[in-house]
Amino acid sequence: MPVWLREYSWRQTGSAVYLSLPLRGVRVTPANIFCTEQYLKVSIPPFLFEAVLYAPIDDTNSTAKIGNGIIFFTLHKKEEAMWESLTLANTNREKLQYLRENAVLKAHEKAKEETEARKVTKQEHNKYALEATMKLEEAERKRIEDLKEKERQKVTKELELWTKQHKNAEKQKSIQKEGELRQEVEQLKEKKKEKVNKTGIPNEGTSKTRPKPIKGCHGSCSIFSENLEEEQLPAPRSAATIKISFTPRVFPTALRESRVAEEEEWLRKQAEARRTINADLCELEDLKEEEKNPDWLKEKGNKMFATGNYLGAVNAYNLAVQLNNKLHLLYLNRAACHLKLRNLHKAIEDSSKALELLTPPLPDNENARLKAYVRRGTAFCQLELYTEGLQDYEAALKIDPKNKTIEKDAERIRHLIQGATQGS
Amino acid sequence: KIEKAKAIKCGTFGATSLQQRYLATGDFGGSLNVWNLEAPEIPVYSVKGHKEIINSIDGVGGLGIGEGAPEIVTGSRDGTVKVWDPRQKDAPVANMEPVQGESKRDCWTVAFGNAYNQEERVVCAGYDNGDIKLFDLKTMSLRWETNIKNGVCSVEFDRKDVNMNKLVATSLEGKFHVFDMRTQHPTKGFASVSEKAQKSTIWQVRHLPQNRDIFMTSGGAGSLHLWKYEYPAQRSKKDSEGAEMGVAGSVSLLQNVTLSTQPISSLDWSPDKKGLCVCGAFDQTVRVLIVTKLNKV
Repeated sequence: MPVWLREYSWRQTGSAVYLSLPLRGVRVTPANIFCTEQYLKVSIPPFLFEAVLYAPIDDTNSTAKIGNGIIFFTLHKKEEAMWESLTLANTNREKLQYLRENAVLKAHEKAKEETEARKVTKQEHNKYALEATMKLEEAERKRIEDLKEKERQKVTKELELWTKQHKNAEKQKSIQKEGELRQEVEQLKEKKKEKVNKTGIPNEGTSKTRPKPIKGCHGSCSIFSENLEEEQLPAPRSAATIKISFTPRVFPTALRESRVAEEEEWLRKQAEARRTINADLCELEDLKEEEKNPDWLKEKGNKMFATGNYLGAVNAYNLAVQLNNKLHLLYLNRAACHLKLRNLHKAIEDSSKALELLTPPLPDNENARLKAYVRRGTAFCQLELYTEGLQDYEAALKIDPKNKTIEKDAERIRHLIQGATQGS
Repeated sequence: KIEKAKAIKCGTFGATSLQQRYLATGDFGGSLNVWNLEAPEIPVYSVKGHKEIINSIDGVGGLGIGEGAPEIVTGSRDGTVKVWDPRQKDAPVANMEPVQGESKRDCWTVAFGNAYNQEERVVCAGYDNGDIKLFDLKTMSLRWETNIKNGVCSVEFDRKDVNMNKLVATSLEGKFHVFDMRTQHPTKGFASVSEKAQKSTIWQVRHLPQNRDIFMTSGGAGSLHLWKYEYPAQRSKKDSEGAEMGVAGSVSLLQNVTLSTQPISSLDWSPDKKGLCVCGAFDQTVRVLIVTKLNKV
């Protein structure tokens, strides 16, 4: 049960009520005081003072002064009137309760309104600040723009001025030069007249060639000095050639650093593709690294063919073919070896294989196809299958009609055929 | 407006005197022609010097700059670089060609330099495989070569008519190299500093005629960059064996501007007004620009 404080004293004027409430021995803070329009409460446990006021007051403007052991309220009345008493006389319990609750609600609402108002003002403040900074920045930008504009205008003016001056200067110079020239021409004419009078030979031809067209120029423009200048120039250099060599590059395109990695990849893959195609033959395990490369084997074979070691060459080509059976050159060369070894059937087989691989008949593989046909033809003839041989020779001739050896051989075969048919 | 049979790739006024003002052009068919623009029907000098398009041309000895005979150098897709004297018909004065049987690379750019007296001349050529070769015309030999790992689009000496001082070479991939040409080391060649300005090709470099340490590069993204070269404290130093070695300085970007979406393929400065320059781009426009405050650089 709270201790009710009933000792208080009050006095009033038309517009305000002054209430003093003694509180001995307790410390009062603003939190203990609760005031709404018609209800005043001071609660300092265990003490309690409440008053339902006679008439509404303006609680926002009213003040409470907390002094030593006493609270002094200054309550501003809403309506100017004299109160009969501080509190309402007939206050029953329920009304009191109702009033209390009302008061609390009102206080809440007020508090809410206050916070909202505060929020709104804060927003406005921020907006204002933002606008202010924007304005400052605008001003700065404008200042820079103006500077640039001024500079631009100044420079255009200068430029115009300069071009005008330049033109004037040129005009003046050309006028000057013409004047000088005319003077010189006249002088010359006079001199010539004198000469004419003396010698009697007219010299008109020269005076016509004198006035050359003069364009505005900066250097010396007199006729005589031009001739002198030409003599001063050194003779043209003696011709020479300097041989150069370039940093090697596989691709025809220009070198770019960003593409170097890609290009290396491509080259590496190409090199690998030319190497072992069926690399899982167990015989290959015995071979050295070099011997697995069909190109290297082909080179070996060629060398052996050149030295006359036809069997060795055939072996080399055999191995190469095992590794990569798509290289027509291997078959072609092996056919040549077989011819030398007189393995004619094998020669025919190999030349045919080579031709198969060369089936798209392009101008690039003309050379190769020519060789293939010639070798096959020779083989056929040596087997005395002259008609087939002739066919091949004719095919070879079609590729290269200007080859005399092929022509001669073809002729010979024709004769042989005719002789054979005649004979039998 | 004058039209000729073959499209023209490049031209220069470099080899004519200021009175004559003949334009030397290289065309797509490999012919070098020198035209008198007042009478353009027939060229003053003409020679079918190359088998393929002439990519680049330069002239020296004219315009009141330098001494010595006027000469024109052309670089072509057929891999050869030829030097012509307009007084000598049909045969080049110097011919730099690949050894017989070797594959050829496109020569993309040529430049004259070191023409400080009547005999000395040097030609620098850049190729599409990244080679830069320096030929000495007095001794008719290859003086230096290097490879900058990207196709070389443009080379220029900072001045044609002085003892060779600096050479700028620009390339694909947005890089350019500045070589200090005063000191040649027997094995390492010339010292250089390189910069990567942008991702696109740098098509052309031109030095400001009034200040040889400022140059402008034009790029494949339609931009122009203005650079300044600063010399190092000591331009040469001795290496471990006592041979002189050049020291490269540093390059700083002064300004850049993007004018177009297409590459700016060619640019030149005016010799009379400092800062006035003209550039041509692939969007079929020719732009005249002025660069200010070059005095304060």
